[in-house]
Amino acid sequence: MHASLYRAIESVFRKEARISLRSRSSWLVVLMFALTTLSCVSLLMQGDILAPRLAASMLWIILFFSLLAGAGRGFADEEQAGTLMALQVYGSSQAVLFGKGLFMAVLLFVLSLLIVPMYLVLMDIAVASWPAFLLTLLGGTYGMAMAGTLLSALMFGAKVQSGLLSILMLPVLLPILLPAIVLTASCFAGEAVHGSYLVGIALYDAIMTLAASLLFDFLWYED
Amino acid sequence: MVSLTFSDVTKRFAGRTVIEHLSAELAGGTVTAVTGENGSGKSTLLKMAAKLLLPDEGKIVARDGGQELSKAAYRARIGLVTPEFHAYPKLTARENLDFFLGFRRAAPLSPVQYEQLLARVGLASDQVAGKFVEHFSTGMRKRLHLAILLASEADIWLLDEPGANLDDAGRSMVRREARRAADAGKLVLLATNDREEEAVADACISLSGH
Repeated sequence: MHASLYRAIESVFRKEARISLRSRSSWLVVLMFALTTLSCVSLLMQGDILAPRLAASMLWIILFFSLLAGAGRGFADEEQAGTLMALQVYGSSQAVLFGKGLFMAVLLFVLSLLIVPMYLVLMDIAVASWPAFLLTLLGGTYGMAMAGTLLSALMFGAKVQSGLLSILMLPVLLPILLPAIVLTASCFAGEAVHGSYLVGIALYDAIMTLAASLLFDFLWYED
Repeated sequence: MVSLTFSDVTKRFAGRTVIEHLSAELAGGTVTAVTGENGSGKSTLLKMAAKLLLPDEGKIVARDGGQELSKAAYRARIGLVTPEFHAYPKLTARENLDFFLGFRRAAPLSPVQYEQLLARVGLASDQVAGKFVEHFSTGMRKRLHLAILLASEADIWLLDEPGANLDDAGRSMVRREARRAADAGKLVLLATNDREEEAVADACISLSGH
């Protein structure tokens, strides 16, 4: 990657981090959503053990809704603050895409690192293969974040209501959610981890990165 | 030197023609004022020049040394100050400048350059230190937008009512900077209804609206 583009991406990433830390409310909502879901389910289970596939599904559903709460804000906050024009004029679309996308990925990954230990303790789950589990989390959150950023930009470009984001997000994210759930379930159940699913996640991430990079200019600029 | 050519440009909104068959040649080293009453299309013209809007007919071409600039190359040379342009409210002046310079891939400012830049736009560093932009007055924000423009090293300046919300000293600073930019070879397109701002221009596009 060209050094100056890297600097532009880093600037967007740092700006996102600063503003996000200073406007805590949106991420507190995401964290509280995750905590509420966890507490409710663990209290209702009353010591029962969830089947690995069900436990894995629930973990990824929590992450999916966390993404929905966060991704929708990505460009809406810029529009609300009146800073979109500044972003469109003063820098490259690729820096916006990757700066925002990578920030969302890091945020989701950090969020999952906060949620997962609580989840494992409250649900009484043991992870058999930590490397595979962490790789799944990393690949899954990255792919979800890139897809979320692209779709959020699409909503902004099409000037449609953010409610459509959740509708579009499901079919776009299913190809990564399914292998991520299967892999997580294998890690929870202590079964052999199928490498092909990890390859599938890596392929999704690569395709989503490339597609987002190619499509973003059309969404970001009118010409 | 950079130049901007408007060829037979027409722009309509909801069936209403705002700009009709406008042709103009703008050269680097000049200030061109865009005048006209409210709703005559001054801001629309600047947005088209910034590639934020597309003309319905005609085209706008930027050249440097006779060579047509690519969209990316052109965008990298634009600086914009309009009433719709906003710096980040949850960042300080320094953080905003650092962000825009990094985003623009321009050289970062040293502490001395930062102080000089603030002084140039009439902001005192102790007045803005540690203060988020959301706590700035309207005039201070406008001065910060001008500082971002100056620091961005843009050589195509698109200014929409740049003196609005500024005091006399601020308006005088805007006129001085626009003139200085043109004298340094930059292309300045200045939408205004202020007679004093108009007076610094070398040429004028008068829009009548429709």
